[in-house]
Amino acid sequence: MPQASSISVLVVDDQLTMRALIRNALQQIGFKDIREAPDGEEALKNLLAKPANLVISDFNMPKMDGLALLRAVRSHPPIRQTAFVMLTGRADRELVQRAVQFGVNNYCVKPFTVQGLREKIEQVFGQLT
Amino acid sequence: MDELEAIKVTFFQECEELLADLEGGLLAMQEGAGDLETVNAVFRAVHSIKGGAGAFGLEPLVRFAHVFETLLDAVRSGSVPNTVELAAVLLRASDILADHVSAARGLGDVDMGASAAMAAELETWTDPNAAPAAHAPVVEEAAPVAAAPAPVVADDDAMDDDDLGFVFVPQTITVEAQAADAEPGNVWTVSIRPKSDLYRKANETALLLRELSRLGPIKATLDDSALPALGDLDPEAAFVTWSVRLETEEDESAIREVFEFVDGDCDLEITRGEGGVQDTMAALLTVAEAPAVIEAVETAPAPIIEISAPAPVAEVVEPVAPAPAPVVEAAKPAAAPAAATPKATPVEVPGPGQSVIRVDPERIDRLIDLVGELVINQAMLAQRVGEYGIAPSSNLAMGLDELEQLTREIQDSVMAIRAQPVKSVFQRMPRLVREVANMTSKQARLVMEGENTEVDKTVIERLSDPITHMLRNAIDHGLESPEERKAAGKNPEGVVRLAALHRSGRIVIEVSDDGKGINRERVFGIAVKKGLISPDLQLTDEEIDNLIFLPGFSTAEKISDVSGRGVGMDVVKRSVQALGGRISIASRPGQGSTFTLSLPLTLAVLDGMVVDVAGETLVVPLAAIVESLRPKPEEVRPLGPVGSVLAVRDSFVPLIDVGQALGYRDHSPAPTDGVVLLVEGEDGSRAALVADAIHGQRQVVIKSLEQNYQQVEGVAAATILGDGRVALILDVDATIAMRRRDGGTPRPTEPTLIAAE
Repeated sequence: MPQASSISVLVVDDQLTMRALIRNALQQIGFKDIREAPDGEEALKNLLAKPANLVISDFNMPKMDGLALLRAVRSHPPIRQTAFVMLTGRADRELVQRAVQFGVNNYCVKPFTVQGLREKIEQVFGQLT
Repeated sequence: MDELEAIKVTFFQECEELLADLEGGLLAMQEGAGDLETVNAVFRAVHSIKGGAGAFGLEPLVRFAHVFETLLDAVRSGSVPNTVELAAVLLRASDILADHVSAARGLGDVDMGASAAMAAELETWTDPNAAPAAHAPVVEEAAPVAAAPAPVVADDDAMDDDDLGFVFVPQTITVEAQAADAEPGNVWTVSIRPKSDLYRKANETALLLRELSRLGPIKATLDDSALPALGDLDPEAAFVTWSVRLETEEDESAIREVFEFVDGDCDLEITRGEGGVQDTMAALLTVAEAPAVIEAVETAPAPIIEISAPAPVAEVVEPVAPAPAPVVEAAKPAAAPAAATPKATPVEVPGPGQSVIRVDPERIDRLIDLVGELVINQAMLAQRVGEYGIAPSSNLAMGLDELEQLTREIQDSVMAIRAQPVKSVFQRMPRLVREVANMTSKQARLVMEGENTEVDKTVIERLSDPITHMLRNAIDHGLESPEERKAAGKNPEGVVRLAALHRSGRIVIEVSDDGKGINRERVFGIAVKKGLISPDLQLTDEEIDNLIFLPGFSTAEKISDVSGRGVGMDVVKRSVQALGGRISIASRPGQGSTFTLSLPLTLAVLDGMVVDVAGETLVVPLAAIVESLRPKPEEVRPLGPVGSVLAVRDSFVPLIDVGQALGYRDHSPAPTDGVVLLVEGEDGSRAALVADAIHGQRQVVIKSLEQNYQQVEGVAAATILGDGRVALILDVDATIAMRRRDGGTPRPTEPTLIAAE
């Protein structure tokens, strides 16, 4: 049972509001090491400079979107095992399909609850303490 | 919950930015920009507003945004053509979306009827067979509710999975496994020196490298130091050595296995650990010189191909997943991310949220105050040192010079922090123009220029009201109705131009229209009728135009919704003057009018000329000074009983003794005894200011006189000089106006006087 506080997270969303909401939810779950990036490009730079255990990423972002980020993460060996949870809208079925092909670990439909997000992460890392 | 409330505040702030982006994008679309990037940005703005609104359970906003987003998605995918007409509809929809945001924030209401009608209109665009607008409310209730995201409280998990049809098998990624991947595990150094036989047997080093990469990430470097010059090169011989750094959990035998088929055809050395630093360096250098070889390896199958193979999840879960593809790192580490991000460019324009620090403005204000004190302090120090007679070439004096330089740079940089483009004010105007045009049944198109002109934040905040008023005025009073315009042979759609520019250290805002211009006869008549001026007053055209700034003047015959809100142009003028600004109007009958508003770029510092007048020290703003000169007796000519003028080249300029104007002395000394500063006011009128002596140019920190004392005519503000004395900053325009009043014809630009007559 991994400790949430020992898992580092990178939150990727172009909206400050969503980043703040996700950060808030993660803190409630018990995460401590939380970083943020406003788009895929920044996120990749950030990860390559300092890997994270988990990426929670929006899909629709300027510059590099969530799918492109996922592909990039999976093709950079030092960070290719980073757990990747995609945030999607309800209507983005096709998107999730593609994300699955690219090796996404889970997805979470917006708007989400703290408990909902927790369960999605636990499906990846096992029950969190 | 407090934290959520704070995030909500952030959300509304972000909404403002998103709405501005949305409007900007839609305006571009209306101008004919149909590129996917613009449409995407527009879509993203609405999508983001909807997303945030959903998180906070702001239902009406979510519903409207959803209908909006659906149409934009259709435009994005090309199923609804992107036309200018569509952009106009979307613009109106963006106004309603903005209303919804305001309502959600508790500021104002949404016209639900208009919202429902717009939602129905949007749906008609998405699906031309949809119900007509008459059934609007029903449609809006029915369709979006079904699709609207569940409220935050809902237990959406199980539903999500069903919803999108994907069930993820619980999996466990361990942090340890990730760490093993990220940190070098077992490092091997493999040195391969192919013999010519290897190539003769049609073996390829690139293939060997690819095989190696299956064991783990590799870094291959080429040593071609043994490569002879081209003339001596035996094409069939082998010269190069590869040095490969390999990270793998496999043992040596697994590595040897890769070379099974080339056994004996190459010299192979496998060692545990990193290769020698020198070897690596040498190899790295040579890699740079052998691009052809590297390229060959790089064209090996792209990593993405393997990633997209079936069952990727399982692969990721495996603690030691086989590395997907050869990775040859070139000498520059930047090569890898650059390859993965094709759009990466060296020049980065920070977008919202990116590399932007949000700082409490009070901290910056405090910093600016402190820098102001620093500037004063530095000036005082310099003055003291000068008084002690220390040689300018001494170390101390030179050090002080450097300090002055640095202080100025700090000041400029700090001011730049607070400088913002006027865009933040301008972007609110298109909507205003649309609304005012609608209300007055006129057709107006807004053209904006110079949106990126930067001004101090304190000035920006106060630009909004005057601009709003000038624009309202331009449409309501300036533009004719479409019929009148057609009759006059003009385009029925009037053009209102809003421009910002820098001119001699000030920001100038111009609002012009191509309407009918000011009806001077009528303006004069109204001014007389209201008792503001005497009927026999002779005024120039320009002076008549400026009558509209008189208190209590309103040309609207009936009070319209738009301009007649009890605020006349006189209020605008006074608020502008309070900022050290000026406003004027120029008009040409039948061709339109132009309001010109000029304000200082900052309210914090000023470049000034320090002068002595009747024993007092004054500062004259440098921006107003054209030149300084010592008049010769023959250049001074008397004019009238008390006044005199100065001949400057081909023209005569009124002489004004600053000492007398400010009441320091009753009798002016001969202008030839002092120094004359030729100044130019905002309206272009010139005057020659007489001072006793000039001390030199200096940057001064403005201290408001109103805040610390009270407003004084002819004085703009005060400052503290290097020696600690307080000096007044001269208001050049007011001084010129005072002289006109006392020594010449009364001018209508001075309302107080005319009203008094």
